[in-house]
Amino acid sequence: MINKIKNNLFLFGILGLYLLLFIVNMEKGMVALGNTVYYLKEMLIIMPVVFLLTALIDAWVPKNMIMKALGDNSGIKGSFTALALGSISAGPIYAAFPVAKTLLKKGASVGNIVVILSAWAVIKIPMLANEVKFLGPKFMIARWIFTVTAIFIMGYITSKIVKIDDIPFREETIKEGEITIDKETCIGCSICAKTSPDYFLMDENKGKKIAVNKRDYMRLEDKKEVIESRDKCPVSAIQIGETEKA
Amino acid sequence: MDIFTIVLWVVTLIWFIYSMIKDKRKTLDAMKKSKGMMGSMLPQILGILFLIGLILAFIPPEMIKNYLGGSNPLLATVISALVGSITLIPAFVAFPLVGSMVDMGASVMPAVAFLTTLTMVGLVTFNLERKEFGTKFALSRNLLSFGFAIAISLLMGVVI
Repeated sequence: MINKIKNNLFLFGILGLYLLLFIVNMEKGMVALGNTVYYLKEMLIIMPVVFLLTALIDAWVPKNMIMKALGDNSGIKGSFTALALGSISAGPIYAAFPVAKTLLKKGASVGNIVVILSAWAVIKIPMLANEVKFLGPKFMIARWIFTVTAIFIMGYITSKIVKIDDIPFREETIKEGEITIDKETCIGCSICAKTSPDYFLMDENKGKKIAVNKRDYMRLEDKKEVIESRDKCPVSAIQIGETEKA
Repeated sequence: MDIFTIVLWVVTLIWFIYSMIKDKRKTLDAMKKSKGMMGSMLPQILGILFLIGLILAFIPPEMIKNYLGGSNPLLATVISALVGSITLIPAFVAFPLVGSMVDMGASVMPAVAFLTTLTMVGLVTFNLERKEFGTKFALSRNLLSFGFAIAISLLMGVVI
């Protein structure tokens, strides 16, 4: 219990404030709680679908695809893809965090993540409709143009300030040249073992045929060949440390 | 539920069912991983929601109206941007509120500053963002968003 409180100091601190407010001013406490109920409902509607979505992206969208669409070299097309992704989304900005984190892990660039988060926050399509209703089309269009321009510039500036190493990832990042195979993802197709027989061989794991490392580190002279294996892997189960971008 | 949330649910559920049929194990493994990430974020998000409720109990939307309509438009813009950074009120409350202000003849600049920082700058979500994306990222994004929100509102003041 004590550990639980320690790990969630923020939540328990806020709950403590509520307790205090209820003692001092019952009425205000009820107002605050009433406000919160609305936000809790909103969260319950959006978070389960975000949870499923992050899992599905993780399982099915190959790393190469994300890198190509949203990675460092995706250029202006990548920016517009990010803008579109953020605009068609639903839910408040905290719902965007898990999705953005998953995309980042799969090779999206920092700049494009800023574009997705910002677009998700300010220029969602349902919000634009609301804006037209209350402030008129001219107001909405002008604000949209300025905001989109600002978001692109922000993405560019942030990508210059923040490098991918500045972002914390839960899993240990692998060392330079280290080769890892995700046992859970591997489907045992044996393409890698055929392409680089010096590095990969097929084995059994819990009755399932999977690839395992023959060598844990890549030799520089074999770089091309090992990277070819990685790129050929149909489920992107192979990772190579540092040289990812090469 | 707005139409986009419904579409998101439908598309995700179809994808999920397809995924379960195609590879149940892979799907469940990915869900386990996703659960780990969500599990660590959930207490933070709950804290944020309770905090917003608390803030709004002390700064109700009607009070925000007073800040938006300040006599000095430049000062009002900066203050509105600050108020927008602190609060996180839903769009369907914010738009009618701002709309009625502008109809009553208030300056456009503070209104735009408020609308933009309301969703783009998150003081209450800052800690969560910092934990997930690092201090440098969260600080850069929020500060830039604040700066650009002011710039956007000034430009809007010229155009509208």
